[in-house]
Amino acid sequence: MKTTELLEILNGIFRKVLKREDITLTESTTAHDVDGWDSLTNMILLTEIENKFGVRFSFREIVKLKNVGDLCQTIQNKTK
Amino acid sequence: MKKKNDADMLAAIVRASNHHAMRPALVLDDRTYTYQELFGLVGSLCETLKNLKEDIIGITAENCIETYASILAVLLSGKTYVILHPDYPAERNCRIARQSGIGLLLYCGENGNMLPADINARRVCFSSHQPTSYSGIMPYNVDPEVPAYIIFTSGSTGEPKGVPISRNNLNAFYQAYRNLGWELDENDRMLQMFELTFDVSIVSFLYPLTLGACVYTVPQKGMKYLNVLDIMERHRLTFAAVAPSVLRLSHPYFKEISFPDLRYLIVTAEATDVNLLHEFRPCIPNATVVNLYGPTEATIYCTSYVIPTEGAKHHNGMAAIGKPFQGMDYMIASPSGKPLPAGETGELWIAGPQLMNGYWRAPEKTAECFVTDLSGKLYYRTGDLCLTDSDGDIMYCGRKDTQVKIQGFRIELGEIEYHVKTFYKHSCNAVVLPVYTTDGSCELHLAIERETEDTESLEQYMQSHLPSYMLPRRIHFIPCFPQNNSNKVDRNQLLKNITQ
Repeated sequence: MKTTELLEILNGIFRKVLKREDITLTESTTAHDVDGWDSLTNMILLTEIENKFGVRFSFREIVKLKNVGDLCQTIQNKTK
Repeated sequence: MKKKNDADMLAAIVRASNHHAMRPALVLDDRTYTYQELFGLVGSLCETLKNLKEDIIGITAENCIETYASILAVLLSGKTYVILHPDYPAERNCRIARQSGIGLLLYCGENGNMLPADINARRVCFSSHQPTSYSGIMPYNVDPEVPAYIIFTSGSTGEPKGVPISRNNLNAFYQAYRNLGWELDENDRMLQMFELTFDVSIVSFLYPLTLGACVYTVPQKGMKYLNVLDIMERHRLTFAAVAPSVLRLSHPYFKEISFPDLRYLIVTAEATDVNLLHEFRPCIPNATVVNLYGPTEATIYCTSYVIPTEGAKHHNGMAAIGKPFQGMDYMIASPSGKPLPAGETGELWIAGPQLMNGYWRAPEKTAECFVTDLSGKLYYRTGDLCLTDSDGDIMYCGRKDTQVKIQGFRIELGEIEYHVKTFYKHSCNAVVLPVYTTDGSCELHLAIERETEDTESLEQYMQSHLPSYMLPRRIHFIPCFPQNNSNKVDRNQLLKNITQ
């Protein structure tokens, strides 16, 4: 899946979970840039993403995620 | 003379810094600083501070060596520090600066503009201080009643309350804390995950330095709980004091987490769920788990309970808080202030040398929280409901009033309500309700007594007046609040309405 398609799907998940329509993610977006993306909502977001793509993130993978680009990369590696 | 020195926390830190000069003192963003490097910077800052007349020093909280060196330098030069947080609204920092009477602000990088120009404090950028050659530092001989720090806690009038902790308080705490029987030395690697505006950060940072051990601080960037677990794993930490939320949030990954080097896990800052802890145990096979409890007003912690692997004592799933620290005394008080027998729930009152003398420049607030028993002993009323069991262990049963704890921060709901009502120019009522989710975490819901309307400007207003942990997660408009028999807002009914 192309990164642009992936970002579209992630936008949908983030908008739904964080209840904000104005979220547009890019590869360089970090939690700091998105209102409401905190430790608590991060758990919900990751679960939604895992369900959507039928993948499971390990603890090590999650620790390494520094921005949305890393997240895309991890999903792409898992769905290859 | 020797005995007196032994009881002094700062003297112990200076001794350890001389003795362990080449050992690591601080690991920060994966960079290691030795005692020599850290105290070189401290020494240079001490020189500057000693030549200045200002006694109350503001420090901007950042995850950098200069911040930690500044705290040590203020303590060693006999002055008082107050932490200002760059992420907090300017208005709150301003109130804290005014109330505490900060005469000087030590800042890092770009944070020199944190306070508005009308706050008359000298600004000193600490990165301009290059470490001088390492020379012995001596703690400045100062009146032990001079506060070491002032921590600001939430107040119901919208005005934060300053808790000044004196050198005497800090040393009484140090003596009692040491006597808990830790087997720790200069080889230990110890976690400091707390915000510097929260007092558990002080023991997490200062105590390891009394031993010559190494402190690992947690980057504030990204997801904090993940940073905590990452540091604990990669650096094989041996001692970690954490908020129970770290366990709650890492629950999905328990099977992948393993900390065999961890010898002590301290759970603190809020009630610990014994069932969750039980599930976490296989991750920490060699650790003793200790629940430490205490209000800021009684210097960081004042009771302890070693939570056993099996048969942990609890009340509604919340771990017992155990027995008072050496030198501290307590009473479970009835509403009329009489001591209650074991098994009966009442307010926990605390007495002893760890108690502050009173809120900073707020005698009326001090009078509200201190009480004297029939024998004349002075107690601090914690506002926590507790009971003791037949072994004399104290169980925590919840908050007496409308204070709650979120991410370790004590919040008076009245403070949030106050700002919301101010936004509406006191034309309507507002109630903040803690909603406990099934995993035990607490979310704040705001109910406003008026017709539904757009909340954007209200949210902006709250963001500019309250730190993020105090912002309600949901806002509900209810045209008419339910009332109870005495015509007070029925908070329980309101809670039912908004959670249905």
